[in-house]
Amino acid sequence: MTADTTLIIGGGPAGLEAARLIGDLGQKAILVEKRDALGGIPIAEHYAALTHGFRSAEEAMNELIAAARANPTVDIRLSTEVVECSGAAGDFRVKLAKAGNGAGETLSVGSIIVATGFQHFDPGRETQMYGYYEYDDVITLADAEKMLKENKFVTPSKGTPPERVCFIQCVGSRDRQIGNEYCSKVCCGISSKQAIEVRQQVPGAKVFIFYIDMRMYGYWENEIYWPAQEKYHVQYVKGIITEIIRKGDRLLVRGEDTTMGRPMEVPMDVVVLAVGMEPSKGTKDVAKILGLQQNKYNFIEVPHGLDPTATSAPGIFVAGAAAGPKDLDDTMSMAGAAAMKAAALVAKKARAVA
Amino acid sequence: MGLFADKYPDVPYEEKSRLWEQVKADPRFPTYLYGCYECGICVAACPSARFYDFSPRKIAQAAAREDIELIFEQMNDDVWNCSQCFSCNRCPRQNSPGGIITVLREVSVKNGLKSAKQALEGYSRIIYKIMGTGTQVSPDMLQPDAFPDWGPQVRAVSADLDVWRRALPPETLHTTSTGWQVDDKTIIELYLIWHHTGVMDMIAEVDEGLHMILNDVMEEKLEEAGYEA
Amino acid sequence: MTANAPASIIPYNAVNTKSSRTFERQAEYAPEDFHDHLFELEAEGEWIVQRVPEPYVEVMTKFGRKKKIPLELTWHHKSCGQCGHIPGYSTAIFWLNRKLNFKYIDPTDQTSCTAWNYYASATSNAPAQAGVAMRNFAAAYETGYFPLIHCGTSYGHYKEVREEMMHHAEMRHQVRDVMKKLGKPLVMPEEIVHYSEWIHAVRDRIAALQTRDFSNLAVTVHPACHYYKLVQEDAIYDPDIYGGQRTATVSALIVALGAQVRDYSTWFDCCGFGFRHILVQRDFTRSFATRRKIQVMKQEANPDVVITHDTGCVTTLDKSQFVGAAHGLDVGVPVMSDAQFAALAMGAHPYRVCQLHWHSTEYRPLLEKMGIDHEKAWAEFQEDLKDLKSGKKEYLTWEDVDA
Repeated sequence: MTADTTLIIGGGPAGLEAARLIGDLGQKAILVEKRDALGGIPIAEHYAALTHGFRSAEEAMNELIAAARANPTVDIRLSTEVVECSGAAGDFRVKLAKAGNGAGETLSVGSIIVATGFQHFDPGRETQMYGYYEYDDVITLADAEKMLKENKFVTPSKGTPPERVCFIQCVGSRDRQIGNEYCSKVCCGISSKQAIEVRQQVPGAKVFIFYIDMRMYGYWENEIYWPAQEKYHVQYVKGIITEIIRKGDRLLVRGEDTTMGRPMEVPMDVVVLAVGMEPSKGTKDVAKILGLQQNKYNFIEVPHGLDPTATSAPGIFVAGAAAGPKDLDDTMSMAGAAAMKAAALVAKKARAVA
Repeated sequence: MGLFADKYPDVPYEEKSRLWEQVKADPRFPTYLYGCYECGICVAACPSARFYDFSPRKIAQAAAREDIELIFEQMNDDVWNCSQCFSCNRCPRQNSPGGIITVLREVSVKNGLKSAKQALEGYSRIIYKIMGTGTQVSPDMLQPDAFPDWGPQVRAVSADLDVWRRALPPETLHTTSTGWQVDDKTIIELYLIWHHTGVMDMIAEVDEGLHMILNDVMEEKLEEAGYEA
Repeated sequence: MTANAPASIIPYNAVNTKSSRTFERQAEYAPEDFHDHLFELEAEGEWIVQRVPEPYVEVMTKFGRKKKIPLELTWHHKSCGQCGHIPGYSTAIFWLNRKLNFKYIDPTDQTSCTAWNYYASATSNAPAQAGVAMRNFAAAYETGYFPLIHCGTSYGHYKEVREEMMHHAEMRHQVRDVMKKLGKPLVMPEEIVHYSEWIHAVRDRIAALQTRDFSNLAVTVHPACHYYKLVQEDAIYDPDIYGGQRTATVSALIVALGAQVRDYSTWFDCCGFGFRHILVQRDFTRSFATRRKIQVMKQEANPDVVITHDTGCVTTLDKSQFVGAAHGLDVGVPVMSDAQFAALAMGAHPYRVCQLHWHSTEYRPLLEKMGIDHEKAWAEFQEDLKDLKSGKKEYLTWEDVDA
């Protein structure tokens, strides 16, 4: 008897979308999520607005959650982890365990979708002198999202609206010293989006973005980058900050304005570090448990250029940032493709048996 | 051909190219330069960039582009401004602009470039001291005419130098013409290192007089110790 | 505004600059440990790795790795500028070893690392520089004592040499052949240890022997570029000092001695030494040292003293202030090494041990704040000099100092 179910690991955007689609195809899906809530990083880290379209992240995630939950053939297990896996495409045996108590349950599944996502780079490992663990007024994109969501963007140490805010791009990305040579793809867009939000919420604030290259693909250019410059007067400066240090009761940022060819030292109230993406602990653990090849950066290796959801193991597919930095648009497309491939595999096996 | 007007058109391209090939042949070079995306971190951290028209980013960028005329211009006009503090080593591409400069300077010296000779004017006595005695600076160099900007305290040191040195409890520090007492055997070993690694030839390129003096000093000691210089 | 009322003194102990978050280093993110390669080469018979002798203290370095710091049986690799121009620096290091009853060697079979000259003039090359380093390492190994490097530039340069010798077999073999001609083995120490790391490792022992109260002293720290920027993985970090984000060496000692570390906004800046500039282009050095370091410290932190841990930094920061003062700049902060500062805390004589008369910037008000009667101390030292001049004594000895 062939397993007629697809196991989806991870309850973030990719996992939810894949579960919904498999359900919509009339097939069975089990979605396991390590956290005690669905919605992945956007919910867990209190995202404000999505970069594409400025929609409320919570509202958008709740729609995905509702769609997955409403599907009668989607079985959602929270606080649950995959701890063992054996078998092959069409006939996997996986052991699930409740987080914390280890009580196991073994089940048969025909295919697996890994949607275990990313985590934000920890700026304590940064080799520039950014002092995230020295100064409360140095924050990350994720910290900023939380304040923006509450419509309360303040200088953390003072609790008052900032006069000067800057973003530093490529923190933990494009960096050989740290070992993350890749671009995290989304930070330019998110920083620009946040810069607009800061200007909307704190109209008196002057906002700077220090960058190496602004990577505003496709419609991000006209929807975000140009409006940020033209409507919200965000100052884009080509040159990265190397040091943040307190001077008086403000932060001093030190870099080179490479366009003007001059060193600069500028006071700031809040500095936002545009931290990049790294594989989540879940992604690294699941890769080991499922025996999947990982790339140099420990993301899931995708060996086939023309099949962006394939992994090194037939029958196991990957969707979203578990396979490398992704924005939400790409994540959702990938979830659709992975769902189709997983469902097709199950259906093909079923036909072969019949 | 580079992107800019050649500042040193009298020096043939082939000569500039030959020097650049020597720079690239240094075994350290591949780990000193990967590529440059112009983030400016090196400039922001650089002390020399704050006082001179000097940019470690431009050094890295010119090297990455292999713009031979521009590199030659930098070898002549820029590299001696660097402080060699290696603050630029925090480059996210893991370049070492300071390291590239070390190599560029070394090639300038090795080939006796006029700019290298100029940069080392007034410095010969230091080379003599370090290569000849094994310590870089000595107490008797603290003379008011050599360091007029260090104030009257230098005069105080030089006035009673011998006594002040004898007032140092560590037995090795009673010297005045070397930083500390160095054994003869040790100095001879140092001379052998200079001879066997081509350093004497480098000195000959930039300062013939100094090379002659050093050679005399070394020859005598080496011969006494039974070595052929 | 007068010099005594700076614009914005940071009103708390700067080493407690710690955000509400706590950083934990995770081993999985640490870059490859160079020791693996070091020992592999030893196993292949390429060189001898000299082990850190016991007893040692383990401290944490930049990427969370543990580094062994030997307590004694150390071979003191002296510094040109310290011995030549600020000899109280070296004397204080030896004095601390003696007071802590640690065995050491002050060798005469040691040359300069010659890196000051190399960074100044480039009149040398990588194999020659490695040859000089390996000769000194072999000399230490032959005594059975472990190298303790006094100079920050020697320390940084030797780590560069270690990298080159590990990764370039051709150069390694060239240097090995040169050593063979000298009759010396090829030896690489297990750790390259700076004396300030040794002070860091024994700071609690130093504090336990402290006889002078430093709690009323305000201190600014200048960290040496060649200590923590050049081959950065070896420098010491501590989660309790600057939130683990800056090197803890020097600052942790000041905290242990009960003085107040005050921050200033050019903490990461170089001192302006410049290697060639300090010798032949001092306009740069003076301007940088006074305008980017001393004046900023003075205005933002108004310290009683600057403590640093390298030869060039003490020289530059101290000697450059004379011209600044003559031009009416807001300067005038005494400069000394962590070794001299620690020795003074333990009751060392300011002239016989710390030899402060070799320093340029006015330090007597600092001594007063430390509770030291500098007039009496100077009179004692003048008596010593008289005895030396008259021939009654040939040298001032450790016994004289301890008397």
